[in-house]
Amino acid sequence: MLDLVDRDYFTDHSILLDPYEYFEALREKGPIYRLPGRDIFMVTGFAESLEVLANTVEFSSVVCVGGPAAQMPFTPQGDDLTPQIEEHRTSFVGGDYLVARDDKAHTNSRALLSRLFMPSRLKANETYMTGLADGLIKGAVARGGVELITEIAVPFATLVIADLLGVPPDDRDHFMGVLAAGPPAGALDADDDAERPHPMEVMAGYFVNYLIDRKQNPRADVLTELATASYPDGTTPDVAELVRLSTFLFGAGQDTTAKLLGNAMRFLIEVPGLQAQLRADPSLLGAFLEEVLRLEGSTKMTSRIARKATTVGGVEIPVGTKVMVALAAANRDPRRWENPGAFVLNRPRIKENLAFGRGAHVCIGNPLARAEARIVFEKLFEHSSHVDFDAAAHGKPGNLKLDYEPSFIIRGLEKMQLTLTPR
Amino acid sequence: MPQLIVTTAKGETHVLEAESGITAMMAIRDAGLEGLLALCGGVCSCATCHVHVDPASQSLLDEMSEDENELLDGSLRRNEHSRLSCQILITPARDGLRLTIADED
Repeated sequence: MLDLVDRDYFTDHSILLDPYEYFEALREKGPIYRLPGRDIFMVTGFAESLEVLANTVEFSSVVCVGGPAAQMPFTPQGDDLTPQIEEHRTSFVGGDYLVARDDKAHTNSRALLSRLFMPSRLKANETYMTGLADGLIKGAVARGGVELITEIAVPFATLVIADLLGVPPDDRDHFMGVLAAGPPAGALDADDDAERPHPMEVMAGYFVNYLIDRKQNPRADVLTELATASYPDGTTPDVAELVRLSTFLFGAGQDTTAKLLGNAMRFLIEVPGLQAQLRADPSLLGAFLEEVLRLEGSTKMTSRIARKATTVGGVEIPVGTKVMVALAAANRDPRRWENPGAFVLNRPRIKENLAFGRGAHVCIGNPLARAEARIVFEKLFEHSSHVDFDAAAHGKPGNLKLDYEPSFIIRGLEKMQLTLTPR
Repeated sequence: MPQLIVTTAKGETHVLEAESGITAMMAIRDAGLEGLLALCGGVCSCATCHVHVDPASQSLLDEMSEDENELLDGSLRRNEHSRLSCQILITPARDGLRLTIADED
C-alpha cells in the first residue's frame, strides 16, 4: 500500500472523495514539494501560490487545461521556452483557450470579455437569473425534492451564461444536452468516445452563425458587442477568435458554478445550526459563500510551466518543470487561515481566498458566479422551510454516500438528491 | 512607452513603463507593487484596486462610469481623487500619470 503522499493525484480515484487529506500529506513535505522522480512541483502554501500566480513572466499557463502530468508536445530546449510554447501551443490540450494563453494574446482577449462582467451588465442579467431560479426552485419544492446538480444547478448555470451571451432561447436546450454529454474539465479517465465531436466544437458551429449575424444585424446584446468589439490597441479580432472566446466562456462558467452550488448546499446542510442561521438572516449569504469558496471551491488546482528558471518560496524551479497550484490546499494553509479546517463565517479578509485564483488569470466570471449562487440560495429560502439530503439516495448523516466527479481540476458532486420542505 | 508614476501606501514612488492598451491596475500588478489586491481581475466589481489620482493628473482622465462610482462609494478611503485603477486605460496621452495606491479598507 502506497503512502498517501506517494499516490498519483492525477489518476488515483481514491483521492477524489477526500483530496484534502492528500493535500495535507503533501503540506507536511513543505509548502512547495517536488514529486519524486517527476518534473512536477506541488504548491500547497498560500503565499507560495500567490507567488506563482503573480509571476506571469517566468511561468506560462499553457499547461493549465491539460494539467501538469500531460505529455509535453516538445522537448524543452534553452533557457526561455516561450518560442517553443508558442510554436506548439495548439498541441497542448486546451492550449489556445483563454485560460491557457499568455502575454499579449491573453491580455487582448481578456479585455474583450471584461466588459461583459461589469456590475451594470450583471444587474441586467440578474432579472433573468432571479426569474429562472424562482421557477426551478418553486417546481422542486412542489415535488418535495430534487436532484440538485442535474435538475437545478446545471440548467441554471447553463441558461444564465446563455442569457448573458445572448444565445437564442430555442438553442439553449440543445446546448445543455451537448454540454451534459461531454467530459468534465480535467477528466481522470480518457474519453472513450473519441468519435463524438467535442461539446465546444458543436457550440462553436452555432456561435459562428450568431456572430456573423450580429455583424450584419447588430442588436442590444452581448454577441453584438463581441462581434463589433476591438482590442485595446484598436485592432479587431476575427470571427474565429470571437467564437473561441464565446464558447470558452460558456464552457468555463457552467460546470464550475453548478458544482459550487452543490458544495455550498452540503455545508448548509451539514454545519450544525447554519441553515437556521442563514434562513433567519439571508444577508449572511455573501459571507457563507466566501467561506464555502475557501473550504471547498469548485476548482481544486491550476497549473503552470516554468518557461524560464525561477524560484518559488526560495525553492529553485528549473526551466521546463511544471507547478501545480493546489488552490484548495492554499485555502486551508494554517499559516494564512486560523483553524483552517473549520467553517467560520466572516473570517477577516475572507475575500482573499484563492477559489477563483488571483492575478492576471483570476476567474473573469467570479462576480457572476457569486451572484448566481446567492440568488439560488435566496430563492431556496423563499420557497422552502428546510432542505436535507435524501436518505434513500445518500444514506444517513455521518455515513453519507456522495460521489464526486472524477476530475483532477473540478471539485464537486455528480449528484445530490435533496428533500425540500415547503414553507 | 507611457510612464506611470505610482506611490505605494508606504510612500515609495516607482516609475513604471506601461504599455498602451493595458490598464493602470495591470501595470501596477505586473510590477508587483505592494498594496494592490485587484481581487476581481479588472471587471470593476471589487474596488480593491483603489488609487488616488494626483490632482495635477486629474485632467488626463475621463469621467468615471456609474459602476465605478457606486463601487467607490463602498470604500471608507474615498476622496475626490479616488478612482479604480482597472478603469484607467494607459494611453500615450496619459504619459506621466501619477497615482497613489489607496490604503486598504
